[in-house]
Amino acid sequence: MSETDATDADGRAIHLQELRRGTVVLACLRLLAEPGYGYGLLEALQARGFDTDANTLYPLLRRLEKQGHLTSEWNTDEARPRKFYRTSAEGLRLAQALTDDFRSIAVAIDALPEED
Amino acid sequence: MNDTRTPPVETTLTERYIQAVTRSIPEAQRGDVAAELRGLIADQLDARIEEGEPPAAAERAVLTELGDPDKLAAGMIDRPLHLIGPRYYLDWWRLLKLLLWIVPPIAAFGIALGQTLAGAPIGAIIGSTIGGTITVIVHLAFWTALVFFIIERSEAGGTKAEGVTDPWTLDDLPELHASRARFADMVVSLVFLALAAAVLVWDQLFGLVYLDDRWMSFLDPGLWPWWMGGLLIVLAVEAAFQVVLYVNRRWTIGLAAANTVLNLVVAVPAIWLLSQDALLNQDFWLTVVPAPDAEKVYGILSVLTGFGIGAIALWDTIDGFLKARRAGS
Repeated sequence: MSETDATDADGRAIHLQELRRGTVVLACLRLLAEPGYGYGLLEALQARGFDTDANTLYPLLRRLEKQGHLTSEWNTDEARPRKFYRTSAEGLRLAQALTDDFRSIAVAIDALPEED
Repeated sequence: MNDTRTPPVETTLTERYIQAVTRSIPEAQRGDVAAELRGLIADQLDARIEEGEPPAAAERAVLTELGDPDKLAAGMIDRPLHLIGPRYYLDWWRLLKLLLWIVPPIAAFGIALGQTLAGAPIGAIIGSTIGGTITVIVHLAFWTALVFFIIERSEAGGTKAEGVTDPWTLDDLPELHASRARFADMVVSLVFLALAAAVLVWDQLFGLVYLDDRWMSFLDPGLWPWWMGGLLIVLAVEAAFQVVLYVNRRWTIGLAAANTVLNLVVAVPAIWLLSQDALLNQDFWLTVVPAPDAEKVYGILSVLTGFGIGAIALWDTIDGFLKARRAGS
């Protein structure tokens, strides 16, 4: 791979990352309508095609909790205690708003001039 | 937390990692973050081992994926990883630029003036002026950065604090033609030059101040006719320069250079004459000020006048180059 190719690939990765950033928030809020814990959510996201790293997901969950979009509870029933997150009423409203916005963006993108 | 499913591997790496993450986290959240992280790492570890990875390699892989512990900790408690972020960067930069334009020149001028009045040798004056000005610049940069560093962290995650800085409005737009030489400027300059010439001639021929029943001149009478004649010629050239500037519509590097020469032609002889006690009319000052202090006052006044002349010439020179640069871009 030549140097310019490598730079192009880097630039591409950054743009894709930018585009996907908000979608992970949306996916978390929707998936956590049913309570879930960190690693389980990571797997669910990956299985559904939301490519996410552990070190971005865990801080994201805490941030959403701090903002009041998620609530959390420790589950100590099993051998390994896990922190379960669940989307709050406020979080569900945010998820709805994000989903609506994403749909209208998708429509707007479809209406853009076609590439060759 | 006796976990039967945790494989019997050396867990010191994981514990070291968790400690590295939690050491910079506030006490209140530390236990929670540590417990959650321990569970998350164990889950990821289990998944890898189930896929057949050797436990030791799996642990290394999981922790490597999680990355720099300080970065993860910052993410966990939403701590910014920059000194001054995009919210405040422009406010900080504008304030710093403004202060750098205002404070160091005043400081340099003040230090040089103080040293001169205290009778320091020229080397000491230059040395302490440069040293003092650099110190002032370093302090400005440090303290503004510190203030914004604190503002940035005082309400992390929140919105921009009200009242810290004003929101931008259209009124803040810089003037497009600030560097254009305007007609009004030229007229004001010409009138001022003509007045200055008239006052100088009147002062030399008749005197400006009425004292002890006679008119006395403010400047040294010995300047007439040669020095004064030279100055009048320079004033005429200055007037011509103002006209050329207006006709040209804008400052150029050439005009700024010519402006510099004109400033030097006035300032250097004036300061030299001052140092020879040949610029100000000594008789006048000795008459005005009571006898015992007269010499001292006259000396201080000479220094102040010299610095005044130098500062005006320097500022006018810099101003010309700044306008030329702005007009050129």
